[in-house]
Amino acid sequence: MGIAVYRRMLAVESLSKRFKSGNYGVRDLSLQLNGGVLGLLGPNGAGKTTLMQMIATITKPTSGRILYRDVDLSKDPDFLRRRLGYLPQDFGVYENLSAREFLGYFAALKGVKASRVGEMLEAVNLHHVADRAVGGFSGGMKQRLGIAQALINDPDVVIVDEPTAGLDPEERVRFRNLLSDIGAGKLVILSTHIVSDIESIATQIAIMKHGSLVALATPEELLQRTDGAVWEIVMSSEAFEKTRGSLVVSNAVRKSEGVHVRVIANEAPSMDARIAEPRLEDAFLYMMNMGVAA
Amino acid sequence: MNDRLRRIGGIIDADVRIRFRRMSTLVMFLLMTAAAYKWVPNPRLGTALLEINGQRCLYNSAAIGMATASLSTLFVGLFGYYVISNAIARDARSRCGFVIASTTMRSTDYLAGKFAGNVLFLFTFTAAFMISSMAMVLVRGEAALEPITFAKQYALIVPPTIVLISAIAILFESIPFLSGRFGDVVFFFLWMFLLGFTASALDKKLFPVTIIGAFDVSGFGYVLDQMRATLHTSTMSIGASTFDPKKPVFVFQGLHWDWRWLIPRTISLLLPLPILGMARVAFHRFDPVRVKQSASRHGVNLWSRLNRLFAFLTRPLIRLATMLIARGGKPSIVRSAIADSLLTISATPLIGVAIIGVSFAPLSVVFVAMAIAIADVASRESRAGTTALVCSTPLIKQHFVLWKMLSSLTIASLFLVMPLVRGAGIAAIAGGLFVCAAATFLGLTTKNPKTFTVLFLSFWYLALNDKGATPWLDFAGFNHAATTTTIATYATLALALGWFSGVTPGKST
Repeated sequence: MGIAVYRRMLAVESLSKRFKSGNYGVRDLSLQLNGGVLGLLGPNGAGKTTLMQMIATITKPTSGRILYRDVDLSKDPDFLRRRLGYLPQDFGVYENLSAREFLGYFAALKGVKASRVGEMLEAVNLHHVADRAVGGFSGGMKQRLGIAQALINDPDVVIVDEPTAGLDPEERVRFRNLLSDIGAGKLVILSTHIVSDIESIATQIAIMKHGSLVALATPEELLQRTDGAVWEIVMSSEAFEKTRGSLVVSNAVRKSEGVHVRVIANEAPSMDARIAEPRLEDAFLYMMNMGVAA
Repeated sequence: MNDRLRRIGGIIDADVRIRFRRMSTLVMFLLMTAAAYKWVPNPRLGTALLEINGQRCLYNSAAIGMATASLSTLFVGLFGYYVISNAIARDARSRCGFVIASTTMRSTDYLAGKFAGNVLFLFTFTAAFMISSMAMVLVRGEAALEPITFAKQYALIVPPTIVLISAIAILFESIPFLSGRFGDVVFFFLWMFLLGFTASALDKKLFPVTIIGAFDVSGFGYVLDQMRATLHTSTMSIGASTFDPKKPVFVFQGLHWDWRWLIPRTISLLLPLPILGMARVAFHRFDPVRVKQSASRHGVNLWSRLNRLFAFLTRPLIRLATMLIARGGKPSIVRSAIADSLLTISATPLIGVAIIGVSFAPLSVVFVAMAIAIADVASRESRAGTTALVCSTPLIKQHFVLWKMLSSLTIASLFLVMPLVRGAGIAAIAGGLFVCAAATFLGLTTKNPKTFTVLFLSFWYLALNDKGATPWLDFAGFNHAATTTTIATYATLALALGWFSGVTPGKST
């Protein structure tokens, strides 16, 4: 038996999605991925969901193509679908079904043995409420059930769209850890507009703006690119109110001695500005405001 | 087990579980049991289930079976559609549809599963009604219960209705512009046409049985044909009908298989196949660009296009009215209600066009347009998830029902101005009040506009076709038959419904 060797796991080539209104959801986007966790960052409306829906074969691109293990998905979408787990944004549940029945339904749809249902319920720590109607679950429990259905077919590619939206801090951390655990040996694409969601788990970060890719790099590379562009200034409240419109402010904390402002700029914004250690959030803002296309 | 069959089975299983665990399903089962009792009245009280030329039937299994099967095809056909026509929409709303679209599930299998789920659900309902009706043979005690004869009547009449309605529901859900309220209205008239046209075309011998019988999904044509052959009549009354107690009771032996009807009945059973084929072509497979919510946002939906087209007509008036009511001052429930009605017209400018368009139309048409316009006023907040938001504004939480009622009345008044100027009487005002109260009550209790829409259209259709023969049906006076008692009754009903809206637990607040 031979071993298949692929140049890359997933390749997106000059992908565009144009709506009937004439607006682009995604515009001429290319990227190549080889496993790990890809954090897809961008503001609302950047095109993250549209890109993920195209990769998940839910909607067709207007132009360009997506290759999974060198197979063109427009010609053979089932090739990826067999190996795909997908959790859409704002995922809802059938409130009258129990967690076990809900997962049993998706197990049937994905052609998976029913015995996987119990395993997945244990994996997401819902086995103790397996026979309770999911209508009574908290937001975090529903999201865990959502990720369980995404993983039930033991996928090679997992796509999760804004999975932490609406979760409390504890659930967010739990969910993040869960995604980090499943990332090993798979390609996980996780979209969010909250940088801290992917800070600790992403092996690569793609930043999108207006449907285009602004950056695709490891978190370390992004921090490197931002090095020397993050400044800290302490200024009075009045001065801050006057100048905030002209600055790219990453953070502002009001203290007794004045406002501590983190500013993103290629050059020192004022004489008393001190260079600061960049964080991923700064890198995101830098790429959004000053970055060049990837 | 075959993988495809397992997937289809999974869809049917989930649909059945979801539907049968709803409180509304239990309520419908209870209502159908009650209906069976009501429709098979005690003949000693002057009414009977089946009456021909003043003679009542003997309550044997054949007569009760045939008559209740005919009633069930009528009601399962009409109300069944509204109950089952959310199978695909539920997956789209919950976004489980996106997950389904990302699996290897074939669209054909998905639609087949949803269709089979619809059929199973309606068959279960009909079976429950049949069992309740069977019990009435024992309750009335005029003849022995013959379960096979009883079930045979149902088997000969009902199946084409169930499969056709199940298929139409799938087709309408697959076509964006038919998957909402417009589709609900279209279905009502389509069903009424199918019911009336085939029976009357057969009666008047407009076409050969083989041709027209193929579209006789309700089985009414088949029943009439058999009645003509066995009892030499083509007129009969089914339901609680009065009879002449002096005339002898007739014995109905039941419907029998007639080979002339083999091809037409088989075709009517197979009608769903091309309909499902059309649904397969139209099905969006949850592509967000093609599903309704997305489509209307991107402007490809016919309904939203029409609304946008006419927005220029209503926009200046809405702006002017908004300026007039938004002048500050103390919070007022009347002002809030006017604002809500302006929101309704802003969201659907076609309502504004309809108000002008039907101003010279017959009153019956005005009432249909008005009812469709106000159908979703009461349930809008619960469907949009904005109940808490609007309840945080002054006076709304404690006067939610009054607010919705006044909002509906404001729109209804706009519809009724011209008819009143043209001479529509006080009955139109009482009718308007009754329709608004019913829309508010049903919208708040069911949290959707569908129940009101279908109940209103059914009632309106009944009243229209009664042509004034029954004064109490003339709720708005468009048959010129409404008496003072009729007017007072509907006005009282409106007040009662308004009061019930405020006390029922299902209200949005």
